[in-house]
Amino acid sequence: MPNTLSRIGAIMRKESLHIVRDPQTLFIVIAMPAVMMFIFGYAFTTDVRDVAVAVQDLSRSTESGAIVRSIDASTMFRVAAVEGPIADPLEYFRTNRVKAIVCIPSDFAAAIRRPGGAAVQVLVDGSDSNLGNMIRNAAEAAILDPLLRVLNITRPDPVLVHQHVLYNPHQRSAFFFVPGLMVLILSMMSALLTSVALVREKEMGTMAQLVVSPLHSFEIIAGKLVPFMILAAVDGALVLFIGRVAFGVQVSGSMLLLASVSVLYIVVMLSFGLLISSITNRQLHAMFIAIIVTLLPIIMLTGYVFPVASMPAPLRWLSATIPATYFLQIVRAIILKGVGADVLWMPISVLTVQAIILIAASIKRFRMVA
Amino acid sequence: MRRLRILIWKEFRQLHNDPIAVRLMIFPVLVQMLVLGYAVTTEVRNTPITICDRSNTPQSRSLVGTIAGNALFVFKGMAATEEDVRARLDDGHARIGIVISPDFATAIGQGRAADIEMLVDGQDANSSNVAGGYVRAIVQGWAKQVYARKLEAQGLSIDDVLPARVQPVILFNPLLKSTWFMVPAMAVLLVTMVTALLTGFSIVREREAGTLEQLMVTPLESAELVIGKSIPFMLIGFVELCAVLLVAKVWFMIPFRGNYLTIFLFAFIYMFSSIGLGILVSSIARTPHQALYFTWFILIFFVLLSGFFLPLENMPHWIQQFTRINPLRYFMFAVREVFLKGSGIGELWREAAAMLVIGCVVYSMAMVSFKRRIG
Repeated sequence: MPNTLSRIGAIMRKESLHIVRDPQTLFIVIAMPAVMMFIFGYAFTTDVRDVAVAVQDLSRSTESGAIVRSIDASTMFRVAAVEGPIADPLEYFRTNRVKAIVCIPSDFAAAIRRPGGAAVQVLVDGSDSNLGNMIRNAAEAAILDPLLRVLNITRPDPVLVHQHVLYNPHQRSAFFFVPGLMVLILSMMSALLTSVALVREKEMGTMAQLVVSPLHSFEIIAGKLVPFMILAAVDGALVLFIGRVAFGVQVSGSMLLLASVSVLYIVVMLSFGLLISSITNRQLHAMFIAIIVTLLPIIMLTGYVFPVASMPAPLRWLSATIPATYFLQIVRAIILKGVGADVLWMPISVLTVQAIILIAASIKRFRMVA
Repeated sequence: MRRLRILIWKEFRQLHNDPIAVRLMIFPVLVQMLVLGYAVTTEVRNTPITICDRSNTPQSRSLVGTIAGNALFVFKGMAATEEDVRARLDDGHARIGIVISPDFATAIGQGRAADIEMLVDGQDANSSNVAGGYVRAIVQGWAKQVYARKLEAQGLSIDDVLPARVQPVILFNPLLKSTWFMVPAMAVLLVTMVTALLTGFSIVREREAGTLEQLMVTPLESAELVIGKSIPFMLIGFVELCAVLLVAKVWFMIPFRGNYLTIFLFAFIYMFSSIGLGILVSSIARTPHQALYFTWFILIFFVLLSGFFLPLENMPHWIQQFTRINPLRYFMFAVREVFLKGSGIGELWREAAAMLVIGCVVYSMAMVSFKRRIG
């Protein structure tokens, strides 16, 4: 056993030297998460503000003026232009880049006092479906509320819904992106770094030397994984640290649990990288596969940006096979909800099974290659 | 001209000799696009919801039925107490919990405002906001019906009480399908990845194989070398673009309202930036994986700050200013506008001009650094 350990240690030293001698790569490994944190921290806002709206005001009355002022004063909208008759609304959208046109008819001032009321059309640019949906939902209140105020009508509102947001009461976007970014960075770094670990040996011809050495394939793999594991763990800690210092995101659950699950996940992704490394023969191919299978699926299929529940069933099944889906659930739950292993045993055991399968597969593949 | 033709031919032969790289570049990305076209829904559906009805009256049960029966939610059963609602959110069985207050029916009967508490899982701030909005809309719709019935009893209609009817009309994407917005954008991502990465790869590979030195000692100018490298990948970029447009039209049935020439013109201008980036990075980097890391690093920022899924308008002012140097941003905007709105160069000349300027700068930087590198 001490023999095994010293052999693993030797491989570890060799692998660490590779890392240290490539300062540019090392720089990216450290700088990338930090820069990403800051850009994300400021760029990730989910609230919609100051959407440009044009008003086609054919009435030019006190009431229509009140509507224009109220829309402009709201946080969601701003009035970009008040126009006379717009001949071609489609062309108007194309040239003026407003997101909606409110059409107030010429008989507006009279019609609002008649039974039946006035008809106000809101033309919405639906090309951005999400924004279009929000505008459609906000339109009625944005127009009716100032009108009711002007006419001194109290609007009957029989049911009040009081919303309480749990786990992230101020809806701070940092709470949303920090856990996700931790998953993204750990995955990319682990898979990308190890994907070239074996291929490099193959390309340089040193693989054969390793194979004829008295080293067991398990020892080679363990020795190769540990330095990268440390590097990935440093990245994870960096994300948490910046999240805490710059954006005030505190881990509300157990730090120990978070750390151990992160190590488990790093092992999963490292073995995955090794697997890629053992099926390709060129570094560029290996890295490209690593990017393709980690980056987009993790952003899009794990629930990081787009909710999994809204996807069609086959994609939900696909999402359920991705380790990052479970890791994201766990990280969010520990950081934001503060729940423990008693609630999270399910995703943790799935992750453990995935780790065992991937390690076994990469050792098997490695033996075949050797 | 003849030299250029030979160079281009050589480049295609080289690609032909490394079919794995080409296959890796094209097929997985296309498959991803097909799959992810469905994944990138910004609609929020199937939100698990639980309700605690502390009023337990015909009125409250009618509201529960309305919410539970809505197709946007998955009803996870009634919760006995408020603590139970909280527990169900804690363990993730529900993402929205609703508590109807005990005096709900009394308040409605007396014409007072009745209260409903809504607990929302804020882990994913965006989708919980959207789902919370759905609940509010459903409750308000239900309340409006109750109110209308009350008015009917007095012989009135709801339209007589309200001074105006607001009629939203959705243009360009009447069903508000997110695929219509996202799939054209995927074309942009695809063209970017393929042109920037393939060009970078090709140069790095030549350097590794030592054939770059051989090219240098030929009478070819370095400008000729750079242009000869660019044209084949530009052609591949166009092929990819056509493939995506075809998939968008035939598979996703997204109407293409603009002019194909406009799209191709924009793609042509854009590829000066993306190919220039590939050349620039690969001539600065020392090893192939450095080149890949750098390209990839830059691409991630360009994608995130392009308005692909995070709207630029919501970002802080200084980040918006920063995105002005991002060629992807202009191409992304232009493709969506041309695709869905049928805009032409007349409406998009500012984007074209910005891309042209960025393209010229990046491409000349690429030429200079390439020349220095081999000189």
